[in-house]
Amino acid sequence: MSIIIRQARIIDPNGPHHLKTMDIFIEGGKITEIKKNCTAKAGKTIEADNLCVSAGWIDLQAVFCDPGHEHKETIESGIKAAAAGGFTGVCVHSANAPTLSSKAQIEYVKNKADGKVVNVYPLGTITQKQEGKDLAELYDMKQAGAIAFSDYKHSINTAGLLLRALQYSKNVDTFIMTHCNEESLSHGGQMNEGETAIKLGLKGIPAVAEEISLAQQLAVLEYAGGKLHVSAISTKGSTELIRKAKAAGLNVTAGVTALHLFKTDSELEEFDSNYKVLPPLRTKKDVDALRKAVENGTIDVIVSDHQPQDVESKELEFDLADEGAIQLQTAFSCALAGLKDEQIDALITALTQGPRRVLGLEPVSVEEGQNAELTLFSVKDSFTLTEKNNKSLSKNSPFFNTALPGKVIGIINGGKSYFNS
Amino acid sequence: MSHLSVNHLLGIKNITKRDIELILSTAGNFKEVINRPIKKVPSLRDITVANLFFENSTRTRLSFELAQKRLSADVINFSASNSSVKKGETLVDTVNNILAMKVDMVVMRHSSPGAAVFLSKRVKAKIVNAGDGAHEHPTQALLDAFSMQEKLGDLKGRKVVIVGDILHSRVALSNIFCLQKLGAKVKVCGPLTLIPKYITSLGVEVEPDLRKALEWCDVANMLRIQLERQDIKYFPSLREYSMLYGLDKTLLDSLSKKIIIMHPGPINRGVEITSDVADSSQSIILDQVENGVAVRMAVMFLLAGRQ
Repeated sequence: MSIIIRQARIIDPNGPHHLKTMDIFIEGGKITEIKKNCTAKAGKTIEADNLCVSAGWIDLQAVFCDPGHEHKETIESGIKAAAAGGFTGVCVHSANAPTLSSKAQIEYVKNKADGKVVNVYPLGTITQKQEGKDLAELYDMKQAGAIAFSDYKHSINTAGLLLRALQYSKNVDTFIMTHCNEESLSHGGQMNEGETAIKLGLKGIPAVAEEISLAQQLAVLEYAGGKLHVSAISTKGSTELIRKAKAAGLNVTAGVTALHLFKTDSELEEFDSNYKVLPPLRTKKDVDALRKAVENGTIDVIVSDHQPQDVESKELEFDLADEGAIQLQTAFSCALAGLKDEQIDALITALTQGPRRVLGLEPVSVEEGQNAELTLFSVKDSFTLTEKNNKSLSKNSPFFNTALPGKVIGIINGGKSYFNS
Repeated sequence: MSHLSVNHLLGIKNITKRDIELILSTAGNFKEVINRPIKKVPSLRDITVANLFFENSTRTRLSFELAQKRLSADVINFSASNSSVKKGETLVDTVNNILAMKVDMVVMRHSSPGAAVFLSKRVKAKIVNAGDGAHEHPTQALLDAFSMQEKLGDLKGRKVVIVGDILHSRVALSNIFCLQKLGAKVKVCGPLTLIPKYITSLGVEVEPDLRKALEWCDVANMLRIQLERQDIKYFPSLREYSMLYGLDKTLLDSLSKKIIIMHPGPINRGVEITSDVADSSQSIILDQVENGVAVRMAVMFLLAGRQ
C-alpha cells in the first residue's frame, strides 16, 4: 500500500532534508518521493498538526518476559507497546527464566516476532543462565540471530570473566552490553544513596557502586580490546568515565534511560514502587550531567528500559517490590520532558543513528530511495497513558493518567505500519 | 481541643510543630490521668484498635496496649513474623482481613521502610506507625521529647546527641525530625560505618568522638546496637564497640556537667551503657517508659478525633 505523509517536519540531523517541512510519498516499503507538495495519490494519507518525522527509533533495552512470564508481557504485546511508543526496532534482554541462553531460545524470539511491524533483536546472555560463571554459546546464538549479548542487570564484576567475554566476543564478531553495579557497595540498597534515602530510611545504592564497576569494566576493555556497550549509566561520575574512555580511544558506547533524563530520586518520597528502577533514579546534579552527555554525544543512546512487572510483585512494601517500569510508550515523552527544545536533534540522534551505530546496522535516513523506516511524532502535543491505550500486559508505570509532553503518531517499517488512534 | 493536621501518624517528618506540641500537651493531661487511683477514661470507648506487629516487640506493643486499655478501646493483637509475607499473604491482604472485622485504628510495626505509608493509602482505618524498618518510629520520638521537656522545659536551643547505630535506627531519624522541629540542636555520634554518609543533609553534625559529643550535649540518647538488623559486620566486636562508644560511670562522672541519659530500650547492659549508668540519677530511662503510655494515649485520642 502507498502512504503519503503530508507536511511533516523532517528531523534527520545527517540527512538532506533536515528541518524541512515536506510531503513524503512511500510505496512498496520505500520512500519514493520527498517534495514540498506531492500531488501523487496514495492509499493512505497521514496528516496531523505539528507532525514530525524521523528515522525509525530503536530501543536497546527492553524485556518482553516471553518465554517464562507471559502474564507480564508477550512478544506480541511487547511489539504493540513498542510500536505505540514509536519504536521500529527493539532489543530484548532476558529478565527471567528461561533466559535467552541457547540457539533455541533465540530462534523462539525471532520466530515469534517474524513479519511484525517492529524488528525484534534478541540479545543472548553472556553467561549461561546469566549466572555469571561460564560463557554461554555466543557463536551458536549469534548464528541463530542474537544481535549482541547481555546479562541484563547482572553486573559482571569478575574481571577475568569480563575479559574472556570481551575476547571471545571479538572472536565471533559481536559485542557485549553490560550493567554496572558493585554489589558489595550497593548491598541491600533500594534507591539512590543520598538525602532522600536517609529521610525514607531506605538503604542506599551509592553512585560509587556504579562508577567503580564501570571503571573496572573500562580497564578490562582497554586490556582485552573488543567492544563494550554500557546499557544505562546514571551518575555524573559515569558520564565522566565514559567521556574519558572515548577520548582515550576505547571502543565503548553508553546508554541512558529516558526516565533518568527526567526524574530524580525525590520521586520516591511517597514510596511509589513504580519509580523503583535499576539503576536507581539519582540526583539533580546527575540528571543535569546525563542531559549534557546526551547533547554532546558522550551518551550514544536513549533506552526505554521497559520492564513489565505484575501487580503481585509491585504492590508491595517498597523493599519487597521488584524493580522496573513499563516505559516503551512513555520513553519519548520522558526524554522530551528531560531535554530542552534545542536538544531535540541530540534526542532524535540518540533514538535513531545512535542505536544503529551501536548495533552495527546500516544508517537510515529520510531520503528518496531509502527503505521507509520512520517514526511519526509531535513534540508539541501531549500524551497521557491510560488503562485503555496501554498496550503492555502490565501496569507498572508511574505515569498513568498524567499528561506528558510529546506524542507518538505512528511508525512505518517497510511495507508495514502502525498508527496510534 | 484542637485537631492534628494529619489523619494518620506515619512519621514525624510529615507533621507540624503545632501537631507535636498538641500531642505533648495532651500527653501531659493523660500522664496526670494514669497517675490517678482510677487510671481509666472512656475516651476511646467503642473504638476498636488492632495492634499488628510484623516484627518482634515487647515494650512498644505493651505500651500501646496499655494506652489503649486506659482509654477504654477494644483491642485485638496480631503478631506475625515477616515470613508470613513470604508464605504468600501480602500485607494488604492481612490487614484487610483484620479490617473486615470492623477495626477503626491500626497500630503497626513492620520491617519495611514505608510500610505504614503503603498501608495508609490502601486501607480505611487510622494508622499509627509503631516502627517501619529504619524509617520512622514517631511515638518513640514524641515520648523522648516529652521526657526531655519534663527535665529541661522548652527544648529550643538544647543540645542532644544520639549515639550508636544511626544507619539502622528509626529512632534516630524520628528523633532528629522531632527535636529539630522543637528547635533543639542534634549531633550524631558512633562508628562511621554506622552513620549514613549523607546524614548531614538533615542538618545534623557528626561527632565521631564520644567524649567530645558528651561534653557538648545536654542530653545523650544512647541507641541500642541492633545486631539483628546488621546483615554484615559494621564493627569488629561488641567489646570494641563498647570500648569506643560505651558509656560507663567513670566517663559520665568525668564530664564537666551533669547530662541526661536516655535509651529507647531494650538495653544491652554493658554494651551501650553500663548498669551503673542506666540506674544512675542522671538516667531517665524509666521515665521514658512511663511517658510512652501517656504519649501513645494522646496520639490515639487525637487521631480518633473525639472531644
